[in-house]
Amino acid sequence: MDEEGKALKDVSVTINGTAAGTKTNDEGRFTLHSNASQGSITFSYVGYKTEVRTFSGNAQINLVLTADKKALDEVVVVGYGTQRKANLTGAVEQITDEALKNRPLTNLSQGLQGLIPNLNLTPPDGRPSTSATFNVRGVTSIGQGGEALVLIDGVEGNPALINPQDIASITVLKDAASSAIYGARGAFGVILITTKNPQNEKLQINYTSNYSIKKPTYIPEFVTDGYTWASMFNEAFASWNNYASYPQNVNKTLPFSQEYLQELKRRSEDPSLPRVEVDPVTGQYVYYDSHNWFKDLYKSNTQSIDQGITVSGKSNRTSYLLSGHYFNQPGLFRYNSDDYKMYNVRSKGSLDVFPWLTVSNNTDFSKVIYHIPMNVGETGGIWRNIVAEGHPMVPLYNPDGTLTYSAAYTVGDYAYGKNGMDYDKNIFRNTASFNARFFNNALNIKGDFTYQITNNDETRRRVPVPYSRIPGVIEYLGNAYNDMRVIKRSTEYIASNLYGEFEKKFKRHYLKTLLGYNYELSTYKRVGTERNGLIYADAEDLNLALGESMTITGGYEQWNIMGGFFRVNYSYDDRYLLEINGRYDGSSKFPAHERFAFFPSISAGWRLTKEPYWNISRDLISDLKLRASYGSLGNGNISSYVFQEQLSLSKMTRIIEGVQNPSTSAPAVLPAGLTWETATTANFGLDLGLFNNKLLINADYYQRKTINMFTTGPELPAVFGAASPRGNYADLMTKGFELSVSYRDRFLLAEKPFNYNIRAILSDNKSTILKYNNSRKLLSDYYEGQTLGEIWGYVTDGFFVSEEQIRTSANQSLFLSTAAGVWRVGDIKFKDLNNDGVIDYGDNTVNNPGDKVIIGNSSPRYRFGLNLSADWNRLFFSAFIQGVGKRDWYPSRGANTFWGQYNAPYGHPPVSQIGNIWSEDNPNAYFPRYTAYLAWTAGGVLREVQTRYLQNAAYVRLKNIQLGYNLPDQWLRKAGIKGASVYVSGENLYTYSPMFKYTKNNIDPENVSESDQLLGDGNQGDGFNYPMLKSVSFGLSITF
Amino acid sequence: MKNIITIIGATTLLFASCNKLDQIPKSTVSKEAVFNSEAGLKLYTNSFYTLLPTSNDILKGDNMGDFVARKDVPDFFRAGAFGPAQSTGWTWTSLRNINYFLENNNSSSVSEAVRNNYNGIARLFRALFYFEKVKRFGDVPWINRTLSTNDELLYSGRDPRALVMDSVLNDLNYAIENISAASEATRTRITRTVAQALKSRICLFEGTYRKYHTELNLQSTANRWLQEAADAAQAVINSNLYSLANITDIENGYRNLFISTSVNSETLLCIAYSQELGVFHDANWYYTSATAGDRLSFTRKFINTYLRSDGTPFTDLPDYKTQTFMSETKNRDKRLNQTIRTQGYTRINGTQTVNVPPQFSQTYTGYQPAKWVNPDMGLDGGSRNASNIPIIRYAEVLLNYAEAKAELGTLTDEDWANTIGQLRKRGGITGGLSTKPTQADNYIRQNYFPNISDPVILEVRRERGIELALEGFRFYDIIRWKRGELFTDTWNGMYVPALNTMMDLNEDGVNDVYFYTERPSNMQSGVIYINVAPEVNGQPNNMILSETNKGEIQWMNTIPRVWNDRMYLYPIPLNDLTLNPNLKQNPNW
Repeated sequence: MDEEGKALKDVSVTINGTAAGTKTNDEGRFTLHSNASQGSITFSYVGYKTEVRTFSGNAQINLVLTADKKALDEVVVVGYGTQRKANLTGAVEQITDEALKNRPLTNLSQGLQGLIPNLNLTPPDGRPSTSATFNVRGVTSIGQGGEALVLIDGVEGNPALINPQDIASITVLKDAASSAIYGARGAFGVILITTKNPQNEKLQINYTSNYSIKKPTYIPEFVTDGYTWASMFNEAFASWNNYASYPQNVNKTLPFSQEYLQELKRRSEDPSLPRVEVDPVTGQYVYYDSHNWFKDLYKSNTQSIDQGITVSGKSNRTSYLLSGHYFNQPGLFRYNSDDYKMYNVRSKGSLDVFPWLTVSNNTDFSKVIYHIPMNVGETGGIWRNIVAEGHPMVPLYNPDGTLTYSAAYTVGDYAYGKNGMDYDKNIFRNTASFNARFFNNALNIKGDFTYQITNNDETRRRVPVPYSRIPGVIEYLGNAYNDMRVIKRSTEYIASNLYGEFEKKFKRHYLKTLLGYNYELSTYKRVGTERNGLIYADAEDLNLALGESMTITGGYEQWNIMGGFFRVNYSYDDRYLLEINGRYDGSSKFPAHERFAFFPSISAGWRLTKEPYWNISRDLISDLKLRASYGSLGNGNISSYVFQEQLSLSKMTRIIEGVQNPSTSAPAVLPAGLTWETATTANFGLDLGLFNNKLLINADYYQRKTINMFTTGPELPAVFGAASPRGNYADLMTKGFELSVSYRDRFLLAEKPFNYNIRAILSDNKSTILKYNNSRKLLSDYYEGQTLGEIWGYVTDGFFVSEEQIRTSANQSLFLSTAAGVWRVGDIKFKDLNNDGVIDYGDNTVNNPGDKVIIGNSSPRYRFGLNLSADWNRLFFSAFIQGVGKRDWYPSRGANTFWGQYNAPYGHPPVSQIGNIWSEDNPNAYFPRYTAYLAWTAGGVLREVQTRYLQNAAYVRLKNIQLGYNLPDQWLRKAGIKGASVYVSGENLYTYSPMFKYTKNNIDPENVSESDQLLGDGNQGDGFNYPMLKSVSFGLSITF
Repeated sequence: MKNIITIIGATTLLFASCNKLDQIPKSTVSKEAVFNSEAGLKLYTNSFYTLLPTSNDILKGDNMGDFVARKDVPDFFRAGAFGPAQSTGWTWTSLRNINYFLENNNSSSVSEAVRNNYNGIARLFRALFYFEKVKRFGDVPWINRTLSTNDELLYSGRDPRALVMDSVLNDLNYAIENISAASEATRTRITRTVAQALKSRICLFEGTYRKYHTELNLQSTANRWLQEAADAAQAVINSNLYSLANITDIENGYRNLFISTSVNSETLLCIAYSQELGVFHDANWYYTSATAGDRLSFTRKFINTYLRSDGTPFTDLPDYKTQTFMSETKNRDKRLNQTIRTQGYTRINGTQTVNVPPQFSQTYTGYQPAKWVNPDMGLDGGSRNASNIPIIRYAEVLLNYAEAKAELGTLTDEDWANTIGQLRKRGGITGGLSTKPTQADNYIRQNYFPNISDPVILEVRRERGIELALEGFRFYDIIRWKRGELFTDTWNGMYVPALNTMMDLNEDGVNDVYFYTERPSNMQSGVIYINVAPEVNGQPNNMILSETNKGEIQWMNTIPRVWNDRMYLYPIPLNDLTLNPNLKQNPNW
């Protein structure tokens, strides 16, 4: 029966260790027959706590099952404390370590993607060192910007470097009410990461190990046959040049001629001919290869190893936890491999000095080492460089083992193996804290002090790369570089909190108050040194750089903040819930008179199911709560010193009197006033539990208005001579929702309980500019009324079908389809939307955009996740699907993976384009007449954003799937093992995106972002970045 | 009393807590730290040097000259492609930087002479700044202080050219009076002599502009500016600090001025580059890449202006129009063979010295520039050149002097011998060096300057074109001489005597190029095949021959270039005009 004395039907009753089992009947009774004279019986029922009773003989067992309110009684970590989930009034979501279990994660942000609605993580690429920005609920500010505040055990920390296995729970505070207690840094949400604490009295040792095999989700498939490639190159080049001239070179490294093309053809028909020869006239190598440079670039796969151990225990007055973690992922690159390693050590301990006083300490050390190979022939990522110079006709090595010229620009530099950057980042942190309890625990005083030092060091070496064009003659690429750069950055950070909490319940009234003080100080220092003239190519220390070009730079930034905060929780009968938060915040980043500000918020909840008149069966609606909150928070995320007139120093490029002198110049014009950006959030939420809380629904709708954003001033005439001073000028509105639905139940399968759990989440947000200094509404900037992410472009009206049509159509001379301005049949035709006979962009303003219209939006919308998990008879299974419902992508200039040779003629044509290129025989192809530079050169007709090539980059991805087995206890007991499990887990194994229709498997929908940002400026072409990885891993977890 | 103490105490506490949040930047400096010492003044004035021309302004600066063909037609000359919406150049940040300096350079910790020296440098840069603005836009607002966001000057109209240029002259004169150094060894600092040379350049521009642009109604003031130009050039000459370099090396002396990593006696001011410091420019890439760059080539019309080595005009030869590349490039002013690729031009490939012909993958006319190109082919791909780029050469000062005097009508035979005569002598020319010409050259007159009858002016202009070719002067020389129509000339190239014939342009025994209208079936390695049929696939061809089967190459007739007298001034960019309608647009834009 249940707590109210009602009989429970269908309770599953099994005798442990046997197959015997039954269910209770309508009256809640059961009878079990067994040969065993004694043993234990397990009673389990969904929504109730499972009970185990021993029996001996034919005894009657009476049992009251208590409702498992886990879902509601669950304690949620909130700012400076915890809260029962049932009593939450703000928009707060928490997940536990379950969600990260058994996944081979290089860092936390990869694991959290898609788990929490509106915790938006968009990794720019798949580098192991890449950590997505933690964004909560969409665009924050177009002024100072801002991301969510991430706190680890209550103190700001770096989520990229935490040991994923240390994590007990992750809470996201989404609305102003729940994050107000963090004041100026919590304006755009707060993420609270809590690490594990000792659970058991006894010493417990947990060891986990995971071995993964990883490879890119997609490697672009390019034409690698030398002759096919070369004839496409020849065609694209000639077409651009109006068929009047033919290429003499393939970009910089390979001479080209029509005769060479004919020779390539001959050799492709007769593969027995050699692939490298020496031209008797010039003495240079001539290549006839069909080389796949990506095979040189990547290993067929790489493996990562993850090892972790946690030792914990408790005694009367002490508790301790030690954990160590090692993660090693050798690079994906075949040469000069980009090895990644992470080490973590944590030590936590606490001591009850007196019954009323506990002191604890939490020490954490993390270190990440990452090597990035680089090219000296050209800056930027290897992907762009392969497209520029990695021509398929040329192999990596010449017959004598020297690098080819093409190789020196590309993978050959990696094979040479000297050029690269080494990142070494480590964080040491210690938090000492106390907790004093008075008046029968009604009053808690807590305090903590944290010291953290982050070192972020970078070493770069660049030396020229030897190559050979003529047998026996070695030349060097990258003569300009022969240098070493070392940058040391350190950030010292101290934080202290002192706060008291008073909790009192009398009759139906419940009151909890919190009052506290917070102070933080951060000091950043940097030293950068660079010197050329390495005495040999393997030099690893600055002492071996002896050149004339020396640069030494410094850097310093210090800020501090202090704040007083409070929170009052009041509830009546657990039915009416009220919470008031506030923080009085001060920051050194603002001028004295604007330094302090007060940020209040309020939230309330109403649990309808607690009302006496609520008479809908709990079996149907078990719990229903309405929530609302409102509050405003300042955004203190502004760079230090902006209100002070300062002249900065820099080293000149120009040489004067033999050296590159420092120089300084007029300071930026100071803003007339500078105050806080303010984000005001209104949130409405609903928590609904149905069918005895088997089905749980949480929904939130919010509006966040960010006002006084620190943006560009009113446009001033250029004679002002400086950028219009920025000020608090712009407003932004973001609206969105979150929805999460979960269902859990069980049934008997082969007389054993089969538990399953389904959780689906969906979230969205959309931002609109309410105010901005762009009175003419130029499209080149933000403007009032703009939906962020919108894409303006032309409407494609197919291809020209006849000369007649070209003559009679609107004038497209603003664009180019050949260098000579000539248009031909098969070229792109734009729609003359304003019927003025000319295709143009008018004034490039909203009111006169010429023939441009909004054709899409690049913001990811409708992010979703779906979690399925089940366990049965020691087997456990889970699958996690994640995706984005809507997102448009227009492949940028340089995005070779999409454009191929429509970009630059020497680019690599994707195999997916073959058969889909316009010709007289194929007039309905997707791509126009085969012509180079259309997506590259200014005015090129494909570089102009247009409807036909706008891609739907929405996707759905099987993020993780795993199957595991808990080893039977009896096997383990002898070895003194408490529990052990083995599993196999797959990450990113399957992806679908509508854009695959045209891109096939050339590009991962998450790689369509800008080019590599560690090595370039991000503008070299979408998709030229480190691939996303998929993996299969095998793991084991043992607890002693 | 107690309350008062409490209030004072509380206030003190509040202040103490406020002060705790005061943070002072340490990696930047305050205004006082800069202006209180000479080192600080020097530090600040270094920032002005970014106003000096860049390598692009000089070695690519003639990409809009009338004498070069290029891979595409500049938008400026393309019908309908250029207007106020596309116009640029109305930026004023550098001026604010200079004015901020002049306003704040008043610390008593620095002696007046030192302050004035740096003020002189600042004002020289302000003159340069305004010179560029006036060249481009004509009337511009004269602003000599930093403006605040509500300054009335922000929305006022433009000041007349005469006022602005008088202020420029004031700045120049102030600079010449106050800059202490007369010369500096590395030729990278502004000195008094550099200021004088720049003054000659600016005054010559203004003098000739006023003389020929009669629409300004400033002709009467032209001579004053020409005299200032002549005097300033004279001052540089009289300083005896500089002289023409490499005068005895007729074969390579001229070319070496542009590929040398060391400074010579001719350089007044240069942009320095350095292998050691890793600072490079990309001349080789620009002039030899088949894909990057503008692929500049001289037109035949201009190549014709190079004299024969005896000092007589090449165009006096009766058959000059039909001479092949091979014959026309011989026995000429040696500067021709050092400006473009001709017979005997060699480069270094790895360790080998190789003959290099004009390559039709890089040139459209056959007259491929060699002037800035380092022979080492290893420097071709990317920014790798470390040679100095002269900003002001003594040769220019001589030309400024000669032109100002010629325009004034006061050029003597002695002046001629000391200026043009010297330059021609270095080019290996033997005749006409000591006396000024007395007969107007028909070719120059008919083809370039029909309104000029003065033989000296015509010859000075010929000389300036040749000596300073590809140094970034040409566009504004044409503008100030008011000969914009020249920009619409056909881009013509070398004479092709017959189709379907192998040509060995540098006569090294290796065929270089082959012109056809029907593609031959067998193609020879190393030869560039060029289709000059009038139409290709039914569309007009970019490269044709003037007489279809033979004749001069004509490039890019498919895109007509237009000239309109409004183009002597650039339009005020649309955006700036919208922001301040009082600026008023330049005429007819």
